[in-house]
Amino acid sequence: MFFLKEEIKVITLHPSYFGPNMREYLINRLNEEEEGRCTGDHFVICVMDMVDIGEGRVLPGLGQAEYTIKYRAIIWKPFRGETVDAIVTSVKPTGIFTLAGPLSVFIARKNIPSDIKWEPNTVPPQYTDHADQVIEKGTSLRLKILGVKPDVAAINAIGTIKEDYLGPL
Amino acid sequence: MLLRLPPSLHYPITVTSLLKQPGDAVERDEALFWYVYQTTVTEGDGLGNKVEVKRKFPTKFESTVDGEIVQWKVAKGDVIDEPVDVLEIDEPCAHEVQFGGLCAECGKDMTESSYNTEVTDIMRAPIQMAHDNTTLTVSAREATRVEEDAKRRLLSTRKLSLVVDLDQTIIHATVDPTVGEWMQDKDNPNYQALSDVRVFQLVDDGPGMRGCWYYVKLRPGLESFLENVSEMFELHIYTMGTRSYAQHIASIIDPDRKLFGDRILSRDESGSLTAKNLHRLFPVDTKMVVIIDDRGDVWRWSPNLIKVSPYEFFVGIGDINSSFLPKKQELGKSGDKPAPKPSKGALEEHHVNGATAKTDEQSEVSTLEQLVTMGGGDNPRLLQEQSDAQEESIMHQVEDRPLLQKQRELDAEDDAAESGSDSSSSMDESQDMSKHRHHLLEDNDRELFDLEVRLERVHRNFFDEYDRQKSRGLGGRVAALRGEKAPSKEKDVDLKLVPDIKDIMPLIKRPVLTGVVLVFSGVLPLGTDTQNADISLWAKSFGVAISQKINGRTTHLVAGRNRTAKVREATRYSKIQIVTTQWLLDCLTQWKRLPEEPYLLPVHPEDRGEPISPDSKEMAEGSWISSDDEAMAESVDEEMSQFAGIDATSPIGYDEEQQAAVHDELKEFLGSDDESESDTDVSVLDEIPSPGKKRKREEDESADDVETDNPSEEVDVHGSRLAQRIKRSYERSTGLKEVASAGVESAFKQAQAQAQVPSDTDADTPEEPTSQPQEPVEEDDDELEREMMAAFEDGEEPADDEKIANENE
Repeated sequence: MFFLKEEIKVITLHPSYFGPNMREYLINRLNEEEEGRCTGDHFVICVMDMVDIGEGRVLPGLGQAEYTIKYRAIIWKPFRGETVDAIVTSVKPTGIFTLAGPLSVFIARKNIPSDIKWEPNTVPPQYTDHADQVIEKGTSLRLKILGVKPDVAAINAIGTIKEDYLGPL
Repeated sequence: MLLRLPPSLHYPITVTSLLKQPGDAVERDEALFWYVYQTTVTEGDGLGNKVEVKRKFPTKFESTVDGEIVQWKVAKGDVIDEPVDVLEIDEPCAHEVQFGGLCAECGKDMTESSYNTEVTDIMRAPIQMAHDNTTLTVSAREATRVEEDAKRRLLSTRKLSLVVDLDQTIIHATVDPTVGEWMQDKDNPNYQALSDVRVFQLVDDGPGMRGCWYYVKLRPGLESFLENVSEMFELHIYTMGTRSYAQHIASIIDPDRKLFGDRILSRDESGSLTAKNLHRLFPVDTKMVVIIDDRGDVWRWSPNLIKVSPYEFFVGIGDINSSFLPKKQELGKSGDKPAPKPSKGALEEHHVNGATAKTDEQSEVSTLEQLVTMGGGDNPRLLQEQSDAQEESIMHQVEDRPLLQKQRELDAEDDAAESGSDSSSSMDESQDMSKHRHHLLEDNDRELFDLEVRLERVHRNFFDEYDRQKSRGLGGRVAALRGEKAPSKEKDVDLKLVPDIKDIMPLIKRPVLTGVVLVFSGVLPLGTDTQNADISLWAKSFGVAISQKINGRTTHLVAGRNRTAKVREATRYSKIQIVTTQWLLDCLTQWKRLPEEPYLLPVHPEDRGEPISPDSKEMAEGSWISSDDEAMAESVDEEMSQFAGIDATSPIGYDEEQQAAVHDELKEFLGSDDESESDTDVSVLDEIPSPGKKRKREEDESADDVETDNPSEEVDVHGSRLAQRIKRSYERSTGLKEVASAGVESAFKQAQAQAQVPSDTDADTPEEPTSQPQEPVEEDDDELEREMMAAFEDGEEPADDEKIANENE
């Protein structure tokens, strides 16, 4: 699910950056460091706008300036039960690896409808029901998240396509 | 699932009541039954006294899993003395497939643990199965199921699995930017060879290597090789390169991805940075797997391995991903070269034939590689160090441009060779070769063509065996059907019949060199375990027996360099073939016992010992002393006793004349020891003045006489021998003159054979043969000297050939 979240980030700036373009530099730095980051709990999709860049404070003894920036960002936190669209990255006899944006979702064989079978002899290998449903590398899938597990800098999720209206798009 | 009591309970326990009935659902940590246990506790009696009393304590036993109770294995009132199964619980999900700490089937968190947890659920699925993903793990049962499916599929298409290594097996890669420049330059001598080198850039290859360009040379014939082999094998890539490196290579050698698919395993997923493990890819069994790799040690010489000769196109670069692997054992190639002679050093100092280059490179990175061999693979600090090491070696390559330097050396050498064409060449063959070579990079590798034939053979043998088993098995099955009991699963029967590649391959390989008994000389560095060195293990897989010392059973001496004590010793046995290391390597890579003739080592005439007659006892028993042997000192006593034994059984007699000749010869033998020989050799020889030995000498003497009937030939031989002696003596820094004269003198005496025996010759104490008093030079000496000079100028090759021919007779 997507959220608009206010966050705070502290950036220390080397004195060589003090100057007229300091503000642009801070914005660039913020975008670079934050966008696409995974906190383990959620993904930061996009920094929306700067709420407050605050006043820089020169650190005693160092000469570097510390800025506390308040900003708003679109974040995505995957939840159990959420339905997402994903792209297949690889298919294995044990299941399907997909990417839903930044989130890697694995669909175990048990969570694939029983009529869709593993077919290793084709190039590339695929899951297929020998009709219109073919799942191979690059296929778009709609899946439901069964479980989410935060890690240090990544989130792993388990999905299923064994329900109505799920499966290849 | 059967729920078992943990060993931590206070046994014996008595079950007092069951809280759940079959059919009830239980959750984790829910109480299952009450029990009591008895223990001794210390209690106060209220008066300040402490009393030990036995008490019973009632306790609940809690479930460690979720599920539905199927059946109780215990009843109320049971006394349990040890851990037993108490009840059967039907779990809704056995968590057999897990992904990143989640059960992939039910989505439960597997890392949870509580006071009641004995083994975390993660342990239920310990096996990594996917090539390109380490987060997916499966249970042993699931792995078996998947693998059996795969095996059935392979059998139905009559294929096997083939695990392919990349670096130096099917490709050779470098980051030396010189290659890029040469590829642009049409006038470059290497342009032709580089025409099909592929280039790619790895952007995200760690800090410091950003945007490094890789130059990849495919091994000649690779395309057709993969094409043909993929009809017999399902191909997997297993490399120690990074994932993105592997992907790039794969897209070069297999642009359509129809050969390898995504069966690519790189070091990112390997799990170990120092070894490759077949169980990472085939966790259950490896019956149908063949490996091709240029390194045997990383596979621990697995019986599934077909070792190929390393492909080295970019001379001296080696394996760019090898900083992660244990250090390669070199086959003593560093000793190949004689030290550059000070007199004409500058001319001959640089040879380009890979061997020298490799040693240079190795000495550079050796300290770093030591780090690699020090510890295991999981240590993050070590990992960092290894990455740093690789980064550094890559930076070295980029900055130092080893190829460019080599080409420069080569050019310089060419120039020098043209200007100074009259300069005498040394014995070393490779040096002669490099003179004719004008471009550094050669494109004449044939390994893959041979390899294809070998793989075909393995494939054919495997399926022949399978068919044979199957037809036999079918007979059995018909009988079983007649016996009214249908086999439960036909498919499984088939799988049981699958022969094991670990049995098939040795069956092909072992007969190749069976009966060969090898002794190495100058191949392995002193102090290595000759039985477990890489080359030994490899050779042993072909049925070779390796012995430490030369004796009557020895059939081949594999000499890494010339003029070792063992070479000298081996010449005494007419049966022993003295071959270069290349013979062994070629036999091992071609799976054929090759004729030895092209590989015979040109034995230095002076080293040629007099042959032992075949019926001599020493052929069977006595083994000669070699300076290379460490165990020599210990074995001296034994040998002496052996000699004594011979002495006892065979009475000997010889006159003074012969005795003097024997002493002369012994002295000459000692004198011919060059500086590489250890002192112990000399001292040991001194210690054995036993009659047995003398007798042998005598025998040799007579054999020698028979052999050299033609006097002119003999003189010629001695002449060249002298030439060597003189030449060597020039190299010595001290006592030049004395050595030379001593050599002349002794050889002279040799030439005179038994006709004229000098009487003085401090024969009894030949400790310092080089410093004996000078004798007046006779006329014959001048003659010999002239001949010697002639031989010296002609080069020694003809004399050598002659000598070899002599021996072969």
